[in-house]
Amino acid sequence: MLRVRATFEKKGRARYISHLDLNRCMLRTFRRSRIPIWYTEGFNPHPYYSFALALSLGFESSCEILDFNITDDNMTMDAIRDALNAVMPEGMRIVKVAEQKQKITAIAKAEYAFSLVTEDTAGLYEAVQSLIAAPEILIEKKTKKGIKTVDIKPDTELLSCADTGQSVDITMYLPAGTQTNYNPTLFMDALKLACDIPFEPADIRRTAILCADNTVFE
Amino acid sequence: MDLKAKIEKHLLEVQKPSRYIGGEVGSVIKDKSKVDVRFAFCFPDTYDIGMSHLGMKILYSLTNERENYWCERCFAPSEDFEAIMRANDIPLYALESLDPIRDFDFIGFTLQYELSYANILNMLDLAGIPIFAKDRPQKLTQIVIAGGPCVCNPEPLADFFDLFVLGEGEEVNLELMDLYREMKQKGATRLEFLRAAAQIGGVYVPQFYHFSYKEDGTIDRLDVDEGIPATVRKRIIRDYDKVYYPKNFVVPFTEIVHDRVSVEVLRGCIRGCRFCQAGFIYRPFREKTSDTIYEQTKCLCENTGYDEVSLASLSTSDHSDIDNMLSKLIDYTAGERINLSLPSLRVDNFSESLLNKIKKVRKSGLTFAAEGGTQRLRDVINKNVTEEEIMNTCRIAFEGGYSSVKLYFMMGLPTETDEDIVGIAELAQRIVDLFYSIEDRPRGKGVQVSVSCATFVPKPFTPFEFEPQDTREMVEHKQKLLLGSTKSKKIKISYHDPNVSMLEVILAKGDRRLCQAIYAAWKKGCKFDSWEEYFKPDLWLEAFADCGIDPSFYANRRFGYDEILPWDHLDYLVDKAFLVRENKTAHESKTTPNCRQRCSGCGVNKKVGRECFAESKGNV
Repeated sequence: MLRVRATFEKKGRARYISHLDLNRCMLRTFRRSRIPIWYTEGFNPHPYYSFALALSLGFESSCEILDFNITDDNMTMDAIRDALNAVMPEGMRIVKVAEQKQKITAIAKAEYAFSLVTEDTAGLYEAVQSLIAAPEILIEKKTKKGIKTVDIKPDTELLSCADTGQSVDITMYLPAGTQTNYNPTLFMDALKLACDIPFEPADIRRTAILCADNTVFE
Repeated sequence: MDLKAKIEKHLLEVQKPSRYIGGEVGSVIKDKSKVDVRFAFCFPDTYDIGMSHLGMKILYSLTNERENYWCERCFAPSEDFEAIMRANDIPLYALESLDPIRDFDFIGFTLQYELSYANILNMLDLAGIPIFAKDRPQKLTQIVIAGGPCVCNPEPLADFFDLFVLGEGEEVNLELMDLYREMKQKGATRLEFLRAAAQIGGVYVPQFYHFSYKEDGTIDRLDVDEGIPATVRKRIIRDYDKVYYPKNFVVPFTEIVHDRVSVEVLRGCIRGCRFCQAGFIYRPFREKTSDTIYEQTKCLCENTGYDEVSLASLSTSDHSDIDNMLSKLIDYTAGERINLSLPSLRVDNFSESLLNKIKKVRKSGLTFAAEGGTQRLRDVINKNVTEEEIMNTCRIAFEGGYSSVKLYFMMGLPTETDEDIVGIAELAQRIVDLFYSIEDRPRGKGVQVSVSCATFVPKPFTPFEFEPQDTREMVEHKQKLLLGSTKSKKIKISYHDPNVSMLEVILAKGDRRLCQAIYAAWKKGCKFDSWEEYFKPDLWLEAFADCGIDPSFYANRRFGYDEILPWDHLDYLVDKAFLVRENKTAHESKTTPNCRQRCSGCGVNKKVGRECFAESKGNV
């Protein structure tokens, strides 16, 4: 049995597929591709596959991770990729299929890119800089146990911030994985509290899934 | 800003946004510069419901097989997205191209249930298309058409449509589009096109037909414009086994009501239950061969990736080759880990071998349509099911491990008395008792008998088309009586809102004078009337009053045998004389055998020009 890890894109119209719907969508994609995916054993066998991280509705991604097993040991990684790509929905494409090198628990963070569209790009640029420079960034986060106040400052790593004239474009690392998950909208909420410049987020993309040492998770 | 950008700007503000953006696997995208005729197939309800409709899947694929025709899908937006569309000047658009449907050649609605009528007006309004046909441009564009079962009495919608298509659409839709393409090239006007279209069999253009009324409100006469056929006969597919069937479905991302492959196994019904409109308007009975059904199932499962398939028909167990067909299908579906579901099984021919086949596939609940609480009443409605058969089937089911049974009944049926209502509760009780009398019944949990009781709605083209509906007071009395007669906690009773059934009968049996009332109701804010949370019966009553319409004239009045009915000029192959005869037989509590046993002389075979069954005897 091959334990494989597919990296796939979710772009364009496909970003409106919710995580729950994506699950069903992949099941049908596997069935259409007719690749020999391994089924769970037991009373109600179903194809085994799992997504490393959920992606928020409306976000694009170039780096989503999907793990599954193939019962035919002789099937090549490229053949698996091509069989799936032949039947994927519009906006979704498998970039790579490879062996699972690391455990899912190795995922520590994810890289995001987004634009904040505003009339006052210079002002918003300053507001981002001063928010990042602040000693703490407190924000109310909904958890399973209720709403609690968290300081996202220690885990927010701003990589770039640029004033394009129409928007402020940002890239950053945020924690992801089995322990802590921060969504870029948390940072935007904090920014809204910190300044009164109106802005609209646009083109939110997940661009990499990383380990604690900033290497790409494989 | 282009329309797509406008839509996307707000898409994340609404529930289930993937319903509004298209891009599903199986959807057909074409280069519009190479397309001659564009058809917007509109379902007057939300995506989740409309996407489950088999007719749309068939006609969508069929039209798109023609390179130069493009059929796209369009649904009613939910309330949240409708508000955004209206606030941001987003016209109703089709899901494939995201182009506004007002620019299409055909805007085709399917009329599946009466309570969707107000949605049609709302969708036309959202699209920016004039709601009344008379207000549409003279040039040839924006032809608003409708098909589907409710078209058998389209009069309440006559003012809103350019034309209606009667019967099965696989051939006539393309004939209509061919004519359109030809006449568009010649620069014909809308009126010229409609005059020519009226000559196509199955096409009804209401503006060429004029009703006048007597003082008592009934129809006095129907005048038809010169050169226009006096009656319009519905279309049927003669070689049903060979009729086009899709090789692929659009596979939605969001979960829809019937989220599975659906394979049609037969059309028409041999039973002749007197309340059932489908049983008459889809005649004659035709079936696909088991091989065809198997091939179509396999093809669709492979192309869509669905792991569930359901057989569609009015009565699957009436297929002449049912055992062989199911064996074939189960061999395939079990091997591929596909669930096979079989709705529409009848009580009387539910054999042990059939049950064993179903059990192999899936263990879900069993549902039986008993319809009437006493044998006398079941004879009146010609539901040829005896209590013994119901009990036998339940016994087989219980012994086979089932512990819940759902029973469908109607209340307000012709000749019904309190005794018949009490009979429903008694029948349910006897099923509970039966369960506990069985030695090897399923252990652990008790039995659950669910009784679902709908209010009878008399429908055109049935032997009960003449019948009045029970008044609200009568229905409420019967509902109370049923609840009071139910003793066991193992029996769960549910019934319909009588207001819904009343609106349904008015829209089903109404005439052209109702158009203004439907318009008025929509103006007052009526839409999604089949959704409990949106249904506003008071506004409908206000609309009827404003338009001088007495609802009881349509709902609670017996229509005379010799009265001109609003649908008499439409020919659904079944003779009116037959319906009258069946109505009289019903009032004598006499049954009529099913079509396979003996031809009852409904007239369909004569008009089609062949016998329905080679083996049937005593044909009239």
